[in-house]
Amino acid sequence: MRAIRAIAANTFREAIRDRILYLFVGFALAMVVSTKLFGMLTVGDEAKIVKDIGLASIQFFSMLIAVMMSMLLVSREVDSRTVFIILAKPVRRWQFLVGKYLGLVAIVTANLVFITVVLAVMVLAYTGQWDPMLFFAAAMTLLEMLVLAAFAILFAVLTRPILGSLMTLAVFVVGHTSAELWLLTRQLPGSLTRGLVAVVYHLIPNLERFNFRTEVVHGLPVAPAAVGWAVIYAVAFAAVALVLADLRFRSRDLR
Amino acid sequence: MSDIQLSVQGLWKTFHPGLFEADVEALKGLSFEVGRGEIFGFLGPNGAGKTTTIKAICEIIRPDAGTINVCGHPHTAPAAKRKLGFMSESPYVYRHLSGREYLRFCGELLGLPPAGMEARIAGVLDEVGMASRADRGLGTYSKGMQQRIGLAQALLGDPELLILDEPMSGLDPLGRRDVRDIILARAAAGATVFFSSHIIPDVEALCDRVAIVVDGRLRAIGTVDELLARDPVSFELTFTGAALDGLATPLEASHERSDATWVRVATPHRDALLAELGGRGARLLSLNPVRISLEDLLVEHSAEPTT
Repeated sequence: MRAIRAIAANTFREAIRDRILYLFVGFALAMVVSTKLFGMLTVGDEAKIVKDIGLASIQFFSMLIAVMMSMLLVSREVDSRTVFIILAKPVRRWQFLVGKYLGLVAIVTANLVFITVVLAVMVLAYTGQWDPMLFFAAAMTLLEMLVLAAFAILFAVLTRPILGSLMTLAVFVVGHTSAELWLLTRQLPGSLTRGLVAVVYHLIPNLERFNFRTEVVHGLPVAPAAVGWAVIYAVAFAAVALVLADLRFRSRDLR
Repeated sequence: MSDIQLSVQGLWKTFHPGLFEADVEALKGLSFEVGRGEIFGFLGPNGAGKTTTIKAICEIIRPDAGTINVCGHPHTAPAAKRKLGFMSESPYVYRHLSGREYLRFCGELLGLPPAGMEARIAGVLDEVGMASRADRGLGTYSKGMQQRIGLAQALLGDPELLILDEPMSGLDPLGRRDVRDIILARAAAGATVFFSSHIIPDVEALCDRVAIVVDGRLRAIGTVDELLARDPVSFELTFTGAALDGLATPLEASHERSDATWVRVATPHRDALLAELGGRGARLLSLNPVRISLEDLLVEHSAEPTT
């Protein structure tokens, strides 16, 4: 446990001392702050538009941070061979992966909390009301990032960083569209397309399960069961991705 | 050998670089043992399998076949890793950490008790001569300084078995002497040291025993004296009273000084040369055998075809 904590803390420290993270955080902040501009330029409830675009920005940049930092930090450890020193110590390979994963989750969480506070303060300044549900939406985004970071680690041990990043981005895109495709194709008679979509739908996590933006923006009630299932779904998918990553990593020769 | 600290038996490893590239057989049934308190040198040309062997011992790569025991435990057991200190060939360090932070991280991985950790870190920093530079970023270190920090992390857990891959590479003469002193001090304190090196004088000066590995196979093993205990390969003679011109015996080297003539002759031609010089009325001043050096032995084994 101590080794996992040490690797996680080192991963977190490495990320916060890396300029790339601040580039992403800067873009995310700029996007969140500029939502007021979108609110002014768009017809409709400006506060809702600020919340909607703000939360979407948080999700998008959290995804970028999760994907890029996962690839960067795991691949760098292997490519620069610092992992040799870790594995020569009493540290199991799965402990290394879990430590990296928890470090990445800490980075994404810190970033999410920071940007969500900025958005909540902006909404407070705009509407005069503190909206705690923004933090609920951010927590659901964090669940999504738990899954994406686990997939990023899986792809980081499977392939090269650029391809791994593209594969994780593909999981993000497909994960947000597969449910709709699944619904559409279910209307079709039995066909190859239907079968293929079914495979994709069951293999790739349905990331729309973590999207509670509509409920938060429009003040709609949130079903506790949906939240509970989202938590279980995230933990299950992240665990499977990490187990697969371990299966590959434990048999891999590091050169 | 009564107390084996490192046992490598029948180690095989083949790398499969890719679909269109030929497999590389790095280790072909390599076996050897290292006893407690020994300083053991691991010699071989580039590509002989030295680093592959070390990586297999440290579980960085998985051998295809064979067994490795470290301090009485299978090499993959945490108990074995706790007794092992490893320093890689190039100093692979985290550029975002200072030297002290890096050692703290390594101490956490080793599971050192937090209470004595800082004192332990200060101790190894002092041992490798990095105490005054420990709070600088590793990214600002020279290669020699990174090598010293790499050695410090290997020493941090007070290991029973030190595995050092080319520990002298990148060091200036002062640094090499420091590393030699550390190796000797650790061995004197009861640790076993296993190291690979290209620097033959260091191996000759330090090692109790030496193994020569070529093409993934063990070619020779023993003390330096055992390995070099052979008939002389040549003789060096100095004499006066005769010129070199017209000598029928082939010479390996010669030099005519103002006071005497020096020649080196291969062992099979020694008696012929002595007879020829005697016939010319020369006065022999000295006759010294030239024995094979460790470097010669390594070159000889490297040149031999593999079976």
